[in-house]
Amino acid sequence: MAQANLLSPPSQIPPPVALQLSQKAPPILAAPPTSSLPWPLSLLFTRETPESWAIHENLFLASIRTGDDASARQILDRLTARFGEDNERIVTMHGIYEEALAKDDKALERIFEAYEKILRDDPTNFGVRKRRVAVLKSLGRTADAITALTVLVENSPIDAEAWAELSELYAGVGAWGQAIFSMEEVLLIMPNSWSAHAQVATLHYLSSPTSLPALSLALRHFARSVELNEYYLRGYYGLKLVAEKLIPLLSDSSSSNAKRNTDDDDVPPPNLASVKKLDELATSKLAEIVRQYGSGKKGWTGFDEAEVIAARELLDRK
Amino acid sequence: MAQPVVQTIHRDPALFWWILLPITVVMILTGILRHYAMILLQNAPKKLALPQIRQQRALVRGINLRANANVLSPTSFQARKAYMVSAYQEGKFLADPESRGKPRPNPMSDPATMEGMMGMMKGNMAMMIPQTLIMGWINAFFSGFVIMKLPFPLTPQFKSMLQSGVGTRDLDVRWVSSLSWYFLTLFGLQPVYNFILGSNNSANQVTQQMAMANPGAGLMGPEQDPDKLFLNEAENLEVLEHRWILDGVEDRLVAKLTS
Repeated sequence: MAQANLLSPPSQIPPPVALQLSQKAPPILAAPPTSSLPWPLSLLFTRETPESWAIHENLFLASIRTGDDASARQILDRLTARFGEDNERIVTMHGIYEEALAKDDKALERIFEAYEKILRDDPTNFGVRKRRVAVLKSLGRTADAITALTVLVENSPIDAEAWAELSELYAGVGAWGQAIFSMEEVLLIMPNSWSAHAQVATLHYLSSPTSLPALSLALRHFARSVELNEYYLRGYYGLKLVAEKLIPLLSDSSSSNAKRNTDDDDVPPPNLASVKKLDELATSKLAEIVRQYGSGKKGWTGFDEAEVIAARELLDRK
Repeated sequence: MAQPVVQTIHRDPALFWWILLPITVVMILTGILRHYAMILLQNAPKKLALPQIRQQRALVRGINLRANANVLSPTSFQARKAYMVSAYQEGKFLADPESRGKPRPNPMSDPATMEGMMGMMKGNMAMMIPQTLIMGWINAFFSGFVIMKLPFPLTPQFKSMLQSGVGTRDLDVRWVSSLSWYFLTLFGLQPVYNFILGSNNSANQVTQQMAMANPGAGLMGPEQDPDKLFLNEAENLEVLEHRWILDGVEDRLVAKLTS
């Protein structure tokens, strides 16, 4: 795996990487980017670049995550000194810090109140809106969180992060239709995201694991995600899972009522031969990934371990 | 074979110390000063109110839908299209639905536009004033000096560029007058500013002018009527021919993986 750096951290940070990132705190904290000299000199001797603040922000998040609250506080103070109390992102980061320190629901409630107050003053602060949803989520008030998120996406319908979160919340309460809709919005914003395709497929599959139209949609979305990324383990996993369910359904319907499905549905189901072929291909690909990962071959170790184990289990099931 | 006569002019070495160097230094310093003046003069971009943000992003959503429609299955695309088109036509996303259909107010009476123009004006002033002052200073003190000789030959076309303020016909083009040196530094110091101030500086007016050439490139300029944009987008969506990218993806994938 590529060395994680603080300037452009990967979108998904597993715990060891987060720890590795937050351990970079001491040297960064020891060398402040702003100069301590008086004003005219400070302009000349500053080492400040936009990157240094991006690094600070990511370091802040990593420290919060790994429980290094003291470093987080220092970074936050430094950022506040530089950008001022009222900066939108600083307000949000203050919120994150408070949330991380909150011991119980009481404290979270108080933070929630504070967010409400901020949003009354400035309803356009989307960072705080998202934090508010996060607090509602951690308080277990899923319905409220969903309502808050729908307001958010109503006002900012091009926010992929918010749509994805909304989809997850809907899926959590079993509202599959809404979850799929939200995930499709993510797809509209990021049409080439293979993970979004796989997520849509997963939602289709979970919504009704036995119906032919849902399964064929799931199969197609998984196929698209694999088409976009040839080494996407989750795509192959889903492909195999769905194909195995589809094969009996398709052979049934092709014998008895092949006509009916194509008539009342605008999406014709895939034909049996290619589904079988896909099943085979996915199986061989999964087997290859599992084998290569097991042998620790260079270039094959970037897979998530849990996913590889799941794939192995799926292959062994027969 | 006669060598072309090489013009030699004996220059006082003091010309270098008292004209060439001061002009250069002054030019660099004004650039830096202008950079910081611009930073001070800039006011933070005005925050949009929530309805305005909503209006803008709703339009982007429609554009996204149009651009990326091929990821959606026909049913879900038709549903979305129907919703977006009707919402656009009803003006559901408009920031202020009352003014729909009315002509746009005069931009001069809108304080937001005025502010933008003021900002532009301030930028222009920060460029014009030092430029005028320095030009006057050079004209007053250093006009008519020949201050340096370029180490390479040039064609006579460069005469007007390199010898402005020195009215001699026969002087070799390689001699540079003080006023021309001022112009050369005026346009040629960008790399120096990049080195001193970082690449995103506002010291040189050339880049400024380039940036000004297309100011309203934003999606929804103040002069555009959002309602018109929405209706336009609704029309675009109506005529969109939908192609589903997932159609036949399984065969494509089989072909790709087996090849």
